[in-house]
Amino acid sequence: MSVWFTKLLKAKKSCIIDNNLKKVHYELDNGAELVEEYDLNTNVVTRRAWRRNKELKGEQSWDVEIGDPEPTYNFEEKYMIRENSGQPFVTRRNTRINIEWRIRNLPYPIEVYSVIVDKGTNSIIVKTSNKKYYKKINIPDFDRLEIELEQENVSCSHRFNTLIITYKKPKKMIEFEKALFEEIKKIEPQNSEDLNNCKIS
Amino acid sequence: MAVAAAAKIAEVRETTRVERIGAHSHIRGLGLDESLEARHVSQGMVGQVSARRAVGIVLQMVREGRIAGRAVLLAGQPGTGKTAIATALAAALGHDTPFTSMAGSEIYSLEMSKTEALTQAIRKSIGVRIKEESEIIEGEVVEVQIERPATGVGTKVGKLILKTTDMETVYDLGGKMIDSILKEKVQSGDVITIDKATGKITRLGRSFARARDYDATGQQTRFVQCPEGELQKRKEVVHTVTLHEIDVINSRTHGFLALFSGDTGEIKPEVREQINGKVAEWREEGKAEIIPGVLFIDEVHMLDIECFSFLNRGLENEMAPIVIMATNRGITKIRGTNYKSPHGIPLDLLDRTIIVPTTPYDEKELREILSIRCEEEDCQMADDALTVLTRISKETSLRYGMQLIMTSSLIARKRKGHEVEVEDIKRAYQLFFDEGRSVQFLKEYQEEFMFNEMEEEEKMDVN
Repeated sequence: MSVWFTKLLKAKKSCIIDNNLKKVHYELDNGAELVEEYDLNTNVVTRRAWRRNKELKGEQSWDVEIGDPEPTYNFEEKYMIRENSGQPFVTRRNTRINIEWRIRNLPYPIEVYSVIVDKGTNSIIVKTSNKKYYKKINIPDFDRLEIELEQENVSCSHRFNTLIITYKKPKKMIEFEKALFEEIKKIEPQNSEDLNNCKIS
Repeated sequence: MAVAAAAKIAEVRETTRVERIGAHSHIRGLGLDESLEARHVSQGMVGQVSARRAVGIVLQMVREGRIAGRAVLLAGQPGTGKTAIATALAAALGHDTPFTSMAGSEIYSLEMSKTEALTQAIRKSIGVRIKEESEIIEGEVVEVQIERPATGVGTKVGKLILKTTDMETVYDLGGKMIDSILKEKVQSGDVITIDKATGKITRLGRSFARARDYDATGQQTRFVQCPEGELQKRKEVVHTVTLHEIDVINSRTHGFLALFSGDTGEIKPEVREQINGKVAEWREEGKAEIIPGVLFIDEVHMLDIECFSFLNRGLENEMAPIVIMATNRGITKIRGTNYKSPHGIPLDLLDRTIIVPTTPYDEKELREILSIRCEEEDCQMADDALTVLTRISKETSLRYGMQLIMTSSLIARKRKGHEVEVEDIKRAYQLFFDEGRSVQFLKEYQEEFMFNEMEEEEKMDVN
């Protein structure tokens, strides 16, 4: 199998089951942490987040690859600069056969957008003809599994101020996810009952 | 209409002249040539040739960065340019080398112990240059909107619209960011980069699209292309942080926001040890580079015996910066003891320092300094008035002479004169006493003051 798969096999793994979600925590040998959340009804990753190099500036926040970003609360008032809440943002979703991106807060009609696969950087580029939005979407999974992007797998639609880009999963990826899920089944879940019943003093 | 215009002018003045004129703001460098010889008048420095040459050699030592933990003592009478030389050294070292300036009395804080204050000062003077991938925003400014609340208090609200050739985004600004945008005078049409984590703004230049906005532009205005692609990029940047900043970021209780609020409190020695280890590791891996800087302690006689012994020990550390101290004391008590020692510094520490003396200025140099100050304070002075002022400075002190510049210029302005004349200097001299005349006045009229105790002749003693 691929290099990435063996790397995950070697990582220190632990998991808990919370209702019908299985949460898996990997500790990779370079110190990075990876958390995945599987929906046990569909056996598909619904969330994935990374925490890389925590050496430089204390604890770093989680870097969300799949699923909704961590909610930010109002008490974190002391920000330096951040995008206005009305600005477009991308979230990624995983289904059994597709990878989907939703770019919210994009009010322009569908003719404006062009979604192109860039072979050079192996990424999808979203452009608008009115020069208001530009985004290069990387697919870390594909980089890890060394899969090349194909233009014919991309399709997109626009509804409710949201641009939805769909990419059909290549066979190699579906096989990898299946194999990984078989591995994850083997991890003994820690009893999540204890975690939930933890008394707050 | 006229009122509106006046308000506008006041506003312009407020934004263009943020820097105020300090006692040493005329100093731009040490005034040395390539072979480290001191030019007589250069970069705001006058005279003090041998001291400046000596400090020039120290500058070379700091730049090479191989020697750690040396101490230099600038000793001389009040008003002979000790602080000026230190300021000049800081200016000559440039932005990238850390220079910490503190007064001896600063360490007496109730918030932290004396040694903690000294350790922090020492660690502030050591820079680490780190190569790091960080998230930056790079784009052309479309609009800056900053709104102050109508009441004048409360948080400011700011918005910044940036664009590239392909996109446009609205950003919300935090309070610190608003301040630095005001300070950098960011306007629409500028091309800037913002480090997202630290909030550091760098101005790259003005956009070519705005090249025709003004008929006249300053010579140093650089025109650049509007960036392409996404606004937010990951870039490898090299930046210099001090060890103290890394300490604060990693001391868990505060987080890096403590850097801005200023309240850092005490930092545990374990944290520091851990960071020293980490920095050494980075250095071996080639990820980081140590830049030893300069710690300047003014009025060093205000330190007490414990601080001196702590400094003694601290200088032996290989991470120690170059410590420059300045004092105007002769043989006096070491604070915290009853022993007398030269400069109020214990002999063992004195033994480790190289001492650079500064000597009183002669009349020609005084005149030179006063004319530089006149220029700095925007004050036209007649030649004979400058001669009179030089004489006054010679007889009283240079500091008093410098005080008279602004006061006499205000007097001249009051009588609607263009230049400061001898008369104005005389008037200011009569209005404001120097220290000598004040003492004499007190001696004559001391009976009429309260709590006069002149009988027991006691000299002022700060110990």
